[in-house]
Amino acid sequence: MCKVLGLLVGAAALAFTIASAQAKDEIRVVVGFYSAATQAIFEGMAKDFNAAHPDVDVKIEVVQWDNLQQRLTTDIAGGNPPDIALIGTRWLVDFVHNDIAEPLDGYITPEFKSRFIESFMAPSTINGKIYALPVAASARAMYYNKDLFAKAGIQNPPENWDQLVDDAKKIKALGADIYGFALQGKEIETDAYWYYSLWTHGGDLIEDGKSGVGSPGAIAGLQLYRDLIDQGLTEPEPTGYNRQDIERLFKQGRVGMILTGPWLRGQMKADAPALNYGIAQIPAGTRKATYGVTDSLMLFKSGKHNKLAWQFLDETAFSPKWRIEFTTKEGFLPVTKVEADAPVFTGDPQLKAFTDMLPYAHFAPPIPNWEQAADATIRALQQVYTKQVKPDAALKDAATSIDAILKQ
Amino acid sequence: MGSSRVDPIRGRRREAGQLVAPYILILPSLLLAFWIIGYPIWDLTDMSLHSVTRFGQLKEFSGLANFSHLIAEPLFLECLIRTLVWTFAVVGGTVLLSIPIALILADDFVGRRVLRVIIMLPWAVSLTMSGIVWRWALNGQSGMLNATLYDFGLMKQPITWLATADTAFPIEIAIGILVSIPFSVTVFLGGLSSLPREIFEAARIDGASGWQRWRFLTFPLIRPFINIVLVLNFIYVFNSFPLIWVMTQGDPANSTDILVTWLYKLAFRYGKLDIASALSIVMFLILLAFTVVYAVLAMRNEREAG
Repeated sequence: MCKVLGLLVGAAALAFTIASAQAKDEIRVVVGFYSAATQAIFEGMAKDFNAAHPDVDVKIEVVQWDNLQQRLTTDIAGGNPPDIALIGTRWLVDFVHNDIAEPLDGYITPEFKSRFIESFMAPSTINGKIYALPVAASARAMYYNKDLFAKAGIQNPPENWDQLVDDAKKIKALGADIYGFALQGKEIETDAYWYYSLWTHGGDLIEDGKSGVGSPGAIAGLQLYRDLIDQGLTEPEPTGYNRQDIERLFKQGRVGMILTGPWLRGQMKADAPALNYGIAQIPAGTRKATYGVTDSLMLFKSGKHNKLAWQFLDETAFSPKWRIEFTTKEGFLPVTKVEADAPVFTGDPQLKAFTDMLPYAHFAPPIPNWEQAADATIRALQQVYTKQVKPDAALKDAATSIDAILKQ
Repeated sequence: MGSSRVDPIRGRRREAGQLVAPYILILPSLLLAFWIIGYPIWDLTDMSLHSVTRFGQLKEFSGLANFSHLIAEPLFLECLIRTLVWTFAVVGGTVLLSIPIALILADDFVGRRVLRVIIMLPWAVSLTMSGIVWRWALNGQSGMLNATLYDFGLMKQPITWLATADTAFPIEIAIGILVSIPFSVTVFLGGLSSLPREIFEAARIDGASGWQRWRFLTFPLIRPFINIVLVLNFIYVFNSFPLIWVMTQGDPANSTDILVTWLYKLAFRYGKLDIASALSIVMFLILLAFTVVYAVLAMRNEREAG
């Protein structure tokens, strides 16, 4: 009896707090988990905004990146999307096609727009309208192990793929369990690891509205990787290694060169502080290139507090203070001009290797069903890495299936 | 006898009442079961006959178009064949290994209890956890398996076990067998303990050899339990997602994908909820057909044997 009474009282109290909470406007913000710092950064923004607007309650939810897309999908399907969501910008096309993303041009003032570095706005602009705002940007570069280079008698990091092959041969000669070039062969971003080669060989992901993975540049790019495997210049059987696996090899000092993003700098500090490494540009083929990736904040068409949500973005999330805080703590590249001019960034020579590559950055093309197209590409790559199919045959197959995916 | 004779009409009425009463009593649970099982099937069928956006919104009715898309997909047949290989290999291996293990554990010997616990242990660990542990153990650079083989001088170069289907898929089947054994052994142990002792003593007195006792007594008597293990394992293994997903995600180049891992990719990675629903229905029908056919065959065998 007592228990029941207690429960009833509890339920009543709960109902009361819910009712009183509803009197305040609530903004739900769902963000992806970058690092242990993410939660604190966004909670800090919420606190700042709450202080300026006592009648508004900003709720932050941090979700693992692997689950984020599915989580948003279920929320939207259930008719209960958050007010603001952090997304991988390549997902935006699907949101726009299904009429779920709120166009932001009506909110954006010329002053607001001028805060951003222009080129980062391009990926979230679809059919001439801006649907999301970049928060995190990364470009990819080549990390190289300076000690292995010195031991192999190599002075400078390779500037092009021919030099990379020569250097990898010299590093391979250092020992049986030392590899020249790390090649990622499975799981998330396996396709991206090959796009560097595709772009530097003159290829493109989409050419005239069709898949470009079967183009001559793409085939040359994959042939290069296949040659590296055949000559034993990569770790054996790359399809057994995901991104963490090859990054671990690099941290252990067992691989000479690896292509990856700025986050590895932070990890090196924690996991392999003694390792002497440098950062250089991605080796050039017929041209220079890198992969530029942005994550963005978006609003939803069905949102009930879009005005307030916009205020949160304008006054807090994209204020100089929080931009610098976010980018330094999470280890990304500046997306607004204030960040780029901040001494933390101008004085960091390692970061320069990444920012120097930005003019050559290619972004994921705005195509629907991106993940499915990426998987079709990965399938072709794995067929080649396991030596089952020749590069041109595998890639032409992939191009055909991607063309079908694009038409859906 | 005379005093116990009942009025034929009242008796029949009581019989009728006795016939109906059990059905009335189980009616609520029957309805609940229909609701719990029936609603998802109805919902899936509905989705499989419409075109559905990645956000779950039902669009126009599309008839059987999703099914024809599914069948036109080359991966469908590829995954179906691999699913059958996977299922028959795991279930067959499990039954072949579980029966001798159960026979040994049914005997009386010192340490039997400890051994029983050890055999059951993999059951206590979730499939996902087992998958993660095996993934570490099979890692090409830092895995336990390579280190052990290397220490025993059985290996010169590290092998990346999960890098190709040639090694990855047989390993996944072996681990599938390992984690299915506890359940099967439990069922067989229950079956063995229910067998009457007298007939075995009689057989021994009559001079039946160990093999003869197994072939003509134990095997026919635990046949119903074998049937249960086969059907239940077939259903579990056919739909088993975590092991393969954690260890290889169907990689490389879909060469370890079975229907259920491909289904997950279709639904949650590619947002093709309509085709994924069609695939779910097809998988449900395959399992239903298998179970019905097997049940009929088993029953006919039993009747012939009886």
